[in-house]
Amino acid sequence: VQTNGHPLDALGDPTRRQIFESLQAGPRSVGDLAAGLPVSRPAVSQHLRVLEDVGLVTHRRDGTRHLYELDSAGVGVLRDWVDGFWSEALARFKAAAENSSTGGSS
Amino acid sequence: MSDALVIEIVRKTITVDCAVEEAFRVFTADAISWWPVESHSIHQSVAEIVFEPRAGGEVYEVSESGERGHWATVLEWDPPTRLVLAWNILNAEAEPTEVEVRFLPGDGGTRVELEHRGWERLADSGAEKRANYDTGWDFVLGEYVSRI
Repeated sequence: VQTNGHPLDALGDPTRRQIFESLQAGPRSVGDLAAGLPVSRPAVSQHLRVLEDVGLVTHRRDGTRHLYELDSAGVGVLRDWVDGFWSEALARFKAAAENSSTGGSS
Repeated sequence: MSDALVIEIVRKTITVDCAVEEAFRVFTADAISWWPVESHSIHQSVAEIVFEPRAGGEVYEVSESGERGHWATVLEWDPPTRLVLAWNILNAEAEPTEVEVRFLPGDGGTRVELEHRGWERLADSGAEKRANYDTGWDFVLGEYVSRI
């Protein structure tokens, strides 16, 4: 049973990253997604379920089709991660730049 | 494409208490002194980070055993005020995102503005065109993926 993990954990798999990227262009059906990938439809469905469990993807019914699309909340978590990464990196940069600068004391 | 959902531009600003020239130098030529290589690099231990100082140059890490790992390609190199990188760590063939860093004089020090953008390009390029390549997301995940 897949427990709700972190979105980044779900993207640890290359096929799931490709599915995630494909969905950035807009909603797709399982068939559409499978057509562009070297994996079977059942495999794509399974990957979509994992992405759904971590909140990156949602699905809705469009007539008889199921359409999968990105979930804005999960994508927000990814953005926060990138944002947090640069915060940390720039804080370290600031410390290094001020440390190395000879006239840097205020 | 109207209903595309992509990551918004990431913008960061900090003020550093040193001259613009020194800030640019430390950011690029002395990146090894501050980049969090223990969590965000390709190799286990990184000895050096190289910014080739010209448009078209490469940014790469060198491991302690001398292996190179690609990080980015320099798109614009305007020392000491600005640089723009096509960021695709791990794989130069992967669709890049873009990182721009500006160094502006102010408040007796340097205002550093960083923008990480171009997420929509990951969507435009489509995964199917390059099923054999790592995806653009690999850059973001970097070492994170190999730790999980």
